[in-house]
Amino acid sequence: MMTITEDALSPSDAIAGDGDQALAVRASAGDREAFARLLERHYDTIHRIAWRWCGDGTEADDIAQDVAVKLGRAISGWRAEASFPSWLYRIVLNTVRDRQRARASERRRVEAYAVQSLVDAQGGGGADDDPAARLWSAVGSLPDRQRDAVLLVHGEGLSHDEAAGVMGVSEGTVSFHIHEAKKKLRTMMQASEDELS
Amino acid sequence: MSDEFDLDILKTVKAPRPDAQTRDRAMREALAAFDDEKKSAATQGSASGSRLMTILQRSWSTILETLSKGRLMSGTAIATILAVPLAGYLAFMVMNDGYRPNLTGSQPMELAADQSQRADDRARREVARPAPEPAPREAEERDRAIVLSEAMPQAAPPASYIQQGAALNKRSLVGDGSAKVMPGMERLSRDRFESFETSSVRAVLEDPVSTFSIDVDTASYAVVRRALMEGRLPDPDSVRVEELINYFNYAYPLPDSREAPFGVNVSVSPTPWNADTKLMHIGIQGYDIVPSERPAANLVFLIDVSGSMDAPDKLPLLKSAFRLLLDKLDSRDTVSIVTYSGNAGTVLEPTKADEREKILEAIDTLQPGGTTAGAAGIEQAYKLARQARVEGGVNRVMLATDGDFNVGASSDEELKRIIEDERDDGIFLSVFGFGKGNYNDQLMQVLAQNGNGTAAYIDTLAEAQKTLVEEAGSTLFPIAKDVKIQVEFNPETVAEYRLIGYETRALNREDFNNDRVDAGDIGSGHSVAAIYEITPVGSPAVQNDPLRYGAADQAAASGDGSNEYAFLKLRYKLPDETKSHLITTPVGPEFDKASLAGLSTDARFSIAVAAFGQKLRDTDAVANYSWDEIRELAAGARGADPYGYRSEFLRLIGLAESLDR
Repeated sequence: MMTITEDALSPSDAIAGDGDQALAVRASAGDREAFARLLERHYDTIHRIAWRWCGDGTEADDIAQDVAVKLGRAISGWRAEASFPSWLYRIVLNTVRDRQRARASERRRVEAYAVQSLVDAQGGGGADDDPAARLWSAVGSLPDRQRDAVLLVHGEGLSHDEAAGVMGVSEGTVSFHIHEAKKKLRTMMQASEDELS
Repeated sequence: MSDEFDLDILKTVKAPRPDAQTRDRAMREALAAFDDEKKSAATQGSASGSRLMTILQRSWSTILETLSKGRLMSGTAIATILAVPLAGYLAFMVMNDGYRPNLTGSQPMELAADQSQRADDRARREVARPAPEPAPREAEERDRAIVLSEAMPQAAPPASYIQQGAALNKRSLVGDGSAKVMPGMERLSRDRFESFETSSVRAVLEDPVSTFSIDVDTASYAVVRRALMEGRLPDPDSVRVEELINYFNYAYPLPDSREAPFGVNVSVSPTPWNADTKLMHIGIQGYDIVPSERPAANLVFLIDVSGSMDAPDKLPLLKSAFRLLLDKLDSRDTVSIVTYSGNAGTVLEPTKADEREKILEAIDTLQPGGTTAGAAGIEQAYKLARQARVEGGVNRVMLATDGDFNVGASSDEELKRIIEDERDDGIFLSVFGFGKGNYNDQLMQVLAQNGNGTAAYIDTLAEAQKTLVEEAGSTLFPIAKDVKIQVEFNPETVAEYRLIGYETRALNREDFNNDRVDAGDIGSGHSVAAIYEITPVGSPAVQNDPLRYGAADQAAASGDGSNEYAFLKLRYKLPDETKSHLITTPVGPEFDKASLAGLSTDARFSIAVAAFGQKLRDTDAVANYSWDEIRELAAGARGADPYGYRSEFLRLIGLAESLDR
């Protein structure tokens, strides 16, 4: 397990926590104090999720900040029937995806200008000796949905059902994505193993 | 390597600690957003007020954020090509975007005004939060700092200007040459779009009623088209699916009697992108007012002639568009022109529309220059509108701007109130957006919505022709206002539903019967479509598991054996009324079409557009529906297409496909 020092809640607690639910209800009704407490409690979690998804600390800080502001705007539209943690996951994931999308199109422009000077900064990370880090960066190269499913279930420890709620798909679809992801990861990890040896 | 490797080791990957400063700042900004949001609750449209909440005060702080996070931001992208000279990259982007810096005439004035506004904002921000480092001095320096700190791999995130101030000490690494292009840079990414979440699937048992306001705006389509034509996918937040759908003219049937100002047509058909769900398509068709019977129009043009309008696709295009519109008017109508820039001024007192020479001459004298002082202009425009008021006719202020709407001393709330007051007094406001680079979509939407008008975005003369000539009737002459739709789904037949688009137009359930709640308007000959994707009971596509407790009871309680899908209610007011009328239609199996081919070409085409818009927003539902399939569906429903809009749409699908790797 990852060490949780300041995170008020572990991932699975976050799904169960009804303290959150109560705070969220109050915050959505306009209670500033409740909103502040809620955000205070979850900021580190948001940052952690963002980092796991994008793999870059600076970027994760930016995403967490974006998410915090989005929460401030959107909390009044949150309805009690939705689980707060799934809602939170959804917002973080959407933010990550939007930024990566924007970045991809930016990258295409840059490439068009400077193909020759393009260096892939992502490629040569130094963490290759750690199998977990290697696996994690392989997961980052999966298609979005598969990556989301794997990280939610195996990284964040949600059940397939909870992950389905976050991703807005059925439980079966989550299981399918994970199955597909495992197939791809197996090939990728095998290839990198061969390279190392 | 073992065959079944352990994915759970992913949990052991340690995340770094969040940056404490960023965290504090995020907390403060989130609370500010929360406060803003609370202030602006209880206005028209979305339940969360998402479109309305932020007009000007907030926009300045968010623009500054987006500025840094938008184009220049692109951390990794720039970091990866340190070898590329920054100035070259900027020039490339400028070329790519067709951006033309306006360095002639009165441009410097405008820049100066821009900067003082930013300085004000910065001052506000600094009051709000203690600056740990020497505060940034000049906009250029700040920008340079952004680029630099983005380009430098470093631990602390340069997420705010305050912190970027700290990064300034590294700026000597960048040559001075690059800084000179910077002020222009800011202008590259000032288009502003309010972000919103795509509607999610709702379970009928929990949430059987869906309520929203009609939206006849079309601005989003033109923005999307422009992006695609320029070779980039549009910002998902700029894609409002209902505006894409309603950009096109449909000819849904009208009812037999003319008691209601429009016909409501419902059909239920298979979903092209999901074999296990159905689409409930609601098409509304407004009557066309016979030209000879149309009311007289009193139009006041409020034209932005600030320095930023000096671009071929702004003021000159506006002038041409205006000439086109003049052809649609005659001796019954009056036209006035007010400009706003440094000072608001009346260019043309109310003049009969058949005095063409006089009006055209006034148009020709319009020259860009000066800064934007919108508030004075808008007051002047309303004054002229009152002066030339036609009782029983159309009284409308038509604002044409590139979005740099500086309201001066008055706040946005005040501006909104003026517009609302005038609306209640019978003077409506329409907004025509021009150009890009600092197009403020959000503000334009807010203004038009509160003024009972449409917001259209005009990027080409063809678009002007469409909005102002072919659709002059619907643009100018409203036949119904505050049109709201409420659909109650039957839990016996429908398990889940999802409204496609209209996210920013959601209303609370109780708002439907509240005549004081403002909603969208329908013009003469307008056609509007709304589409629900519904999942029948027992379909394998149901996403929510049935409830273990209580659900059976509920179903039994409501069970009167009805096989209807839903009950559709629509409320509207006639343009001069304050009390609403109600139209209801039970949607039963008789509306069912066995195949898409059973639908009208118009309905099929609108479904293709819905799929297109959702795909651009990256909506899950259409993830497995290919661009090719969309094109096929649209091509088969092109119909007569006299003006070629639908053919143009087909070309856009191709562009989107090639950009969406």
